[in-house]
Amino acid sequence: MIAQPVSTFTGPEIDWYALSPLLVLVAAAVALLVAGALTPPWPKGGYAIVTVGAATASAVLAIIQWQNISDDGPSTLVAGAVSFDLSAMFFTITICVAVALVALLTDDFLRRQALDGPEFYALYLVAAAGGIVMASANDLIVLFLGVETLSLALYVLAAADRRRSKSQESGLKYFVLGSFSSAFLLYGIALVYGATGSTNITRVVVYLQESVPLERFDALLLTGVALMMVGLAFKIAAAPFHVWTPDVYEGAPSPVSAFMASAGKVAAFGALVRVLIVALPFYREDWQPVVWVLALVSLVVGSVLAVVQTNVKRLLAYSSINHVGFVLVGIESAAHRAGAVDSGPGVPSVGVYLLAYTVMVIGSFGVVAIASRSGDDATSLDSFRGFATRRPVLAVAFTVFLLAQAGVPFTSGFIAKFGVVQAAVEERSYAIALIAMLTSVVAAFLYLRIIVTMWMSEPDDASVELAGAGTSNSWTGTLSIGLAAGFTVAVGIVPGWLLDAADDLTQFAR
Amino acid sequence: MNEGSFPILTALIATPLAGAVLVMLANARRPEIAKLVGLLTSVATAALSVWLLASFESGAESYQFVSKHPWIEQWGISWHLGVDGISLFLVVLTAVLFPLSLLGADPHHGHKQYLVWMLILEAGVMGSFLSLDLFVFFLFFEVVLVPMYFLIGGWGYEDRVHAALKFFLYTAGGSAFMFVGIIATVYLARDSVGEITFDLVRLSEDADFATSTGRWLFFAFAVAFAVKVPIFPLHTWLPDAHTQAPTAGSVVLAGVMLKLGTYGLLRFGLGLFPEAAYWARPLLLTLGVVGIIYGAMVATMQKDLKRLVAYSSIAHLGFIILGTFAFTSQSMSGSVLQMINHGVSTGALFLLVGWIYERRKTRLIAELRGIQQVAPIFAAGFMVVMLSSIGVPGLNGFVGEYLVLIGSFLTARWWTVVAAAGVILAAVYLLWAYQRVFHGEPDDANRTFKELTLREGMVLLPFIGLIVFCGVYPKPMLDRIEPSIAELIEHVEENTDFVSPEPARAGIDE
Amino acid sequence: MGQYLPIIVLAVLAALFGVMTLAASHLLAPRRPSDAKEAPYECGIVPSREPPERFPVNFYIVAMLFIMFDIEIIFLYPYAIGRENLGVYGFVAIMIFSVLFFLTFVYEVARGGLDWGPVHRSRDLSADADIVSPERTSASTVRHVGLDGRPAGEEAA
Repeated sequence: MIAQPVSTFTGPEIDWYALSPLLVLVAAAVALLVAGALTPPWPKGGYAIVTVGAATASAVLAIIQWQNISDDGPSTLVAGAVSFDLSAMFFTITICVAVALVALLTDDFLRRQALDGPEFYALYLVAAAGGIVMASANDLIVLFLGVETLSLALYVLAAADRRRSKSQESGLKYFVLGSFSSAFLLYGIALVYGATGSTNITRVVVYLQESVPLERFDALLLTGVALMMVGLAFKIAAAPFHVWTPDVYEGAPSPVSAFMASAGKVAAFGALVRVLIVALPFYREDWQPVVWVLALVSLVVGSVLAVVQTNVKRLLAYSSINHVGFVLVGIESAAHRAGAVDSGPGVPSVGVYLLAYTVMVIGSFGVVAIASRSGDDATSLDSFRGFATRRPVLAVAFTVFLLAQAGVPFTSGFIAKFGVVQAAVEERSYAIALIAMLTSVVAAFLYLRIIVTMWMSEPDDASVELAGAGTSNSWTGTLSIGLAAGFTVAVGIVPGWLLDAADDLTQFAR
Repeated sequence: MNEGSFPILTALIATPLAGAVLVMLANARRPEIAKLVGLLTSVATAALSVWLLASFESGAESYQFVSKHPWIEQWGISWHLGVDGISLFLVVLTAVLFPLSLLGADPHHGHKQYLVWMLILEAGVMGSFLSLDLFVFFLFFEVVLVPMYFLIGGWGYEDRVHAALKFFLYTAGGSAFMFVGIIATVYLARDSVGEITFDLVRLSEDADFATSTGRWLFFAFAVAFAVKVPIFPLHTWLPDAHTQAPTAGSVVLAGVMLKLGTYGLLRFGLGLFPEAAYWARPLLLTLGVVGIIYGAMVATMQKDLKRLVAYSSIAHLGFIILGTFAFTSQSMSGSVLQMINHGVSTGALFLLVGWIYERRKTRLIAELRGIQQVAPIFAAGFMVVMLSSIGVPGLNGFVGEYLVLIGSFLTARWWTVVAAAGVILAAVYLLWAYQRVFHGEPDDANRTFKELTLREGMVLLPFIGLIVFCGVYPKPMLDRIEPSIAELIEHVEENTDFVSPEPARAGIDE
Repeated sequence: MGQYLPIIVLAVLAALFGVMTLAASHLLAPRRPSDAKEAPYECGIVPSREPPERFPVNFYIVAMLFIMFDIEIIFLYPYAIGRENLGVYGFVAIMIFSVLFFLTFVYEVARGGLDWGPVHRSRDLSADADIVSPERTSASTVRHVGLDGRPAGEEAA
């Protein structure tokens, strides 16, 4: 033994309480998995209730932490690996909302497909934990850990409807392309590390701040930034890295599509904000045009290609690309003042948009999940003919969600779009703001197509057959959609509290 | 003034909304209850508007019945309503047209939804005319689109879906410009106003834009309003929408919704950007005159009676544009009067054409003949309305057009000369159409044309009453319109080197 | 740009090497294919049928279990060696890891990850009392060929 006298290693200080929102989710996931495996199947809604409980507990803890951060200011945890700021807490709450709403939807779906068990829920919770890590990472390696935790859970979830080949196809496609993009991200992180000597965001910023431009390894760093942006653009499904989205969303079980479109994107946007706005404000001249182009292409692709779709899930997938474009408009406007003390309205508008979008997209996919019945196949536009006469209440809720996505006033979607465009205009990015609004007109047309099909088209034979099929009205699904619709309208009418909260998202822990 | 009293303006918006909710809750199997509720609420709104008219203080310059409550304080948005001489009669017109069109036209199916959409539409139009906050105005301006889209798409004629889509895309596309324009206005005005506010009154008083900025912003607003009016090259949605819309939809579309555009140009275009409006004057005058001649010529060639009326709208609105941008007291007062007159007479024309369609299931002029012999009262009613539309002295159409022409002659001589030809053309197409439809020997199909029913008579009577009253004694209206117009002209003069010609100074009421 | 020159040179060299070896083997190698060479295994028994393509799914679960333990060892060995230096922090960390690991193992076992072979569940024997009763003999259960053991008169049928 060549044991050399090494001074005893002292671990970093860990503030368990500050990490509690995250820990609750992981603990709940493991507990649910083990308890669920050891006990006979739980009664209807059992797993979902536990999941909702965990997500609520986590959100409540995050709100308590929010208060603490407001009082004490942002800081970092675990030796600077995780940031503890309002932005992290906001994304935590958003992801928890997504988990709770999706879990309620999943119960009904799993029973119909005879897949009931704790695994789905545990995977949601793990994915949420990964997403929170992504959105609150202060170290690029930690960020990557979060990405992988989230992604691996999502790959499994996408393929989880194991009797349907479409679901398997979806999972496999997502896995292959997703791991490819993860590789891009990791390589980008490696190059940034090579250029700056650290993966820690604080130290990256300090290095870039202090080193004379001549000393920097700019080419290496810029390549790294580019690769990281490719990886994250894939995760948020920004065009032109969007090609997987329609296939995956269409094939995956509807509640899972809802989860991917909401929590998955929220987390990835959280990571994008960390990487671009927090870590690389000194390079914003370089990455801002890229964001501009990504926003433009996403806006156009998401709205124009959606017009020709005939499947509601694909349509929603394309519309989600359009929404990504809107959020990128917010990030673009945040870029103008990245690194400044007063970072402007960009990041708050992104936060509001993501929360509003999360709720309405889950509601939309939720209605599709309930409407599509067994096999999860009746998602073509035609199967929604005469939906309003079959399920009037559900049709009203769907109409609310679609109008919100279109940005019609008195819904959260309008407030969200208004905020983002306002941020862009304040930073004088008129062109992208105008393009965003024009594409939203095109997108509004496709939402109207669904609404018209529901309310104005006479049911044809196939949809009449659907109407005859047994209607299982589970209270969990109804509750989820009711909550989502209530939130969508409430924020549309009384948005003050949300805007107030989001206004504080401007200070990041470094 | 009126502080602390009954919030009548809010009530004007809330009453139809409450009616919509009540109708929604009504039993779908008993449409008569829904009908009764819908009719009662719209009549109640009309009663409120009459009360408003009665308690409106004539001769006062500024806004009355102002109600202002902070709404979204972060963005400087408040629920700010008010009425002045310009909007007063539009509000009354809206409130009167809705119950009449509900009474006068039967949707034949889906009574409940139809009523809900109509009442929401009424609330939206009311809100647009009453709001003095850019944000609130835009909310209502957008909200109006949705019910109109559904009314055309759900209860229109053969080609309704296409027409509804065209209508929606055109107007929403225009609104996208205004959306960005509004936000840009507010932020660019931040320095000169001192804070972020969407308050129209404060913005038009204090906002100070660089010349080119103001022109761009005016352009953004003008596009939205020009689509709505519609001004000549942007008019192509109108004939389709009017022709395909259900009768009540056409009445409302022509009667009040087109006025949103002209009203918007007057209130927002001139109020916020007087310099830019003055600068853009030649263009808008030209387009207005082109609209007059073009609309009249195309109307002459129409085979479809409803399309003919639709094109006549384009011509009539050309006069309004001409009067608005001639910037004299008479011409602008005439414009406002012409808005009301056009609403009354074209609304009545659409009702009559709708009744012809109900009886004969055709709108083609070639298939109608000799109705005068079979249904003399019907023909007499049509005659009065048509003469008012032509602008025969003694009826309302004359007052508006005459004021516009004499007012415009002072500042826009050659445009006025050309526009005057439009009056003659109006006589050509309407009289010719009347001659073909009502004169001659009725053939077998037209021999059974039913005479005006009592119910139709009751609906038509108020229209004819208004036509005659406004034609004979317009002074009470002008008394209320004139001060607000004078204030607007003063506002323009303060901000430009424009001087309103002396004869206009003298006013019109001696 | 000078700092990247070695990388570029290396990249070019690597590419060249790959291309050259491929080209060389393509050009130089004699090509005399025979059945033996085409076979998946060049030695041993000649396969008489296609190898089975479908494995029991349990195979994968056991394989995953193997990976799990592999990972555990990867963490446990360094910890065991550096235990004294890592102190309380290391102990807590490895305990969290072990607990999580153990729980996932429990999950896997509870879901039947170690039930190898055909599914056979323990059954309630009372329902099958006559099948497993000690009274059963070969005479009562085995059907004999011939006449002995059969009730008389049956042969007439």
